[in-house]
Amino acid sequence: MVISPRDPRAPGVTVVTSGLRHTYPTAGGDLVVLHGLDLEVPGGGYAALTGASGAGKSTLLSLLGGLEAVQEGVAEVGGRSIATLRGDDLATYRRETVGFVFQHYGLVPVLSALENIELALSLTGIDRDERRDRARTLLASVGLADREHHRPSTLSGGERQRVAIARAMANDPRLLLADEPTGNLDEQAAAQVLGLLESMRTEHGCTLIVVTHNRSVAERATMRLRLDGGRLAA
Amino acid sequence: MSWSDALRLAFESATRRFGRTVLTVLAVTLASALLVALATIVVTANSRVINQVSKGGPITAIRVAAARAEPGQLETDDFRLGSPLRIDEATIAGIERSEGVDAVAPVLDLEVLAVPPRVPGGPQRIFERMVGVDLRHPERLPVTVLAGRLPAAGLSNETAVTLGYLDRLRLDADDPERALGQRVAMAHAQVVPSVTGELDYRGRWVAAEIVGVVAQEAAPGMFLVPIEQVQEDRDWALRGVGDGDRQPLPRSPFSGLIVVADTLGDVHDVREAIDDLGYSTSAPEQLIANVQRYLRVVDIVLGAIGLIALVIAALGITNAMLAQVRERRREIGVLKAIGARDRDVQRVFLLEAGFVGAAGGVAGTALGIVTAAAVGAVVNRYLAQQGLQGVELSVPLAIVVAGIGGATALALVAGTVPARRAARLPAREAVGGA
Repeated sequence: MVISPRDPRAPGVTVVTSGLRHTYPTAGGDLVVLHGLDLEVPGGGYAALTGASGAGKSTLLSLLGGLEAVQEGVAEVGGRSIATLRGDDLATYRRETVGFVFQHYGLVPVLSALENIELALSLTGIDRDERRDRARTLLASVGLADREHHRPSTLSGGERQRVAIARAMANDPRLLLADEPTGNLDEQAAAQVLGLLESMRTEHGCTLIVVTHNRSVAERATMRLRLDGGRLAA
Repeated sequence: MSWSDALRLAFESATRRFGRTVLTVLAVTLASALLVALATIVVTANSRVINQVSKGGPITAIRVAAARAEPGQLETDDFRLGSPLRIDEATIAGIERSEGVDAVAPVLDLEVLAVPPRVPGGPQRIFERMVGVDLRHPERLPVTVLAGRLPAAGLSNETAVTLGYLDRLRLDADDPERALGQRVAMAHAQVVPSVTGELDYRGRWVAAEIVGVVAQEAAPGMFLVPIEQVQEDRDWALRGVGDGDRQPLPRSPFSGLIVVADTLGDVHDVREAIDDLGYSTSAPEQLIANVQRYLRVVDIVLGAIGLIALVIAALGITNAMLAQVRERRREIGVLKAIGARDRDVQRVFLLEAGFVGAAGGVAGTALGIVTAAAVGAVVNRYLAQQGLQGVELSVPLAIVVAGIGGATALALVAGTVPARRAARLPAREAVGGA
């Protein structure tokens, strides 16, 4: 199924980091999570980020998604430095450029599947009827047209993640970031979700970066990037 | 995110977390119910007390006597009567022109001989005063109907009697209805010279039906009748010769006036204007001022109790919402991750607090009015047992508006800190925090 974007866009953005360094303050002193990371994912590319726990995968994804401020180094998405973005500009970047899929789904529990997708669309200010139509189309595109009034608690893990993917695609992002999207799913649901992410990338032409521990998931990507101790492993 | 979208999200969030919301709303409901009930009781009690002070008439009423004012009249609430001073239509017109005067009602009273129905042990005749008032405008008069109704204006065969009359006839004051329908013969005397040259008395008799029992302070007297009837009796008396001090001819067309000022603040100025015309006046202005001072203290004390309840409710809202912010950190992070701005998040939490406040305000106001009505019913039962007139519950629109609006505003204030805290949470909470 092909989803018509709200407005024509260029294909996925190129992601570049250079000398990216990030630390977290801890009781025992600063914990360095990224040690001057250099990487490049071409526009429309499909990269899998792997590595042991604490290697800095989720931190890198948070930095690229604008969830955390860049402390040191360069992080460019579509040729634009995200280190300079603050406040409303950062919110606009997250809303218009990035789609995020979380391991824990990140659905608002009091809203139905349809309302969760509408929530993302409501932030762009489009009118209610258009929003509802688009949300229904997105929900149908992930095969959950008959679940629109179901709340997350009444959906299976795979269904929740499909709703989360539909929500991530709501604003037609140019960069789709998925943090362990299959981490809580069984094999069949994981394959379904992964297939969905890949088809979204193909149909929308967005860049896809997936953080995963799963080797078979990583092997489906066109680029495999392994982080080790905050650096890109050879 | 638009206000309507934020409101919808806040509403969904509040209604679908039903148990928690109900508990928070309940706290606001109880606090606003207490405040509304106290305010309603205070307003009702105030009007009751002021009514008692003003003897059931308009609180701004001033009584004017057909007599000159003695020095120092304005320093006391009571009459300081001097020599007789005529009150006529020109006097009424003059007072009506004074600033701050709403209405002027004439009063005329005369002594009558009344023959009541035969009652074992009761008097065969009564010498009393008959008070004539303008019954087309009873609202201007210090008259309270305890049973039955007022006599119809212009009729000479109806009268109302006071509790003093019931006492004289040994009738039960707790059962004033028993006097209704009885007939009283009343006569005013005319003094005429007899053929022997001595003075002779003759009466003009009127049979009147008792249609009501009243408490009245227009002038001393047991019989309240339309002023036209007393005017006819006065004219009849004037056709006689008078009998010196014992039966003097009523020279003044009116024996007094009830002057109603526009506001309580005008009462003193109007009294001054009437004093300048030379008339003695009486008004409970100093008594009312003293009573109001005491009532103000009661207002403050009860208001403080209500406010303490509201502050406790506000703290409850703040606490509940802070707990929600803690529990919904990831949800808030996700909202930000999909592009919500800080102010969008703040708006959702503020509206959620406002919704809780408004719901509690509506429920609390309704509960407060019901509580006040229940208290009023108990008080009325007690007053009735004491032979006193009951109170009528007074719920000004301002109390309803303040009850709902105040609870909502308070909830919004209480929700400010949690809403700000939610807005400041970093978007990285979406991935479980660092």
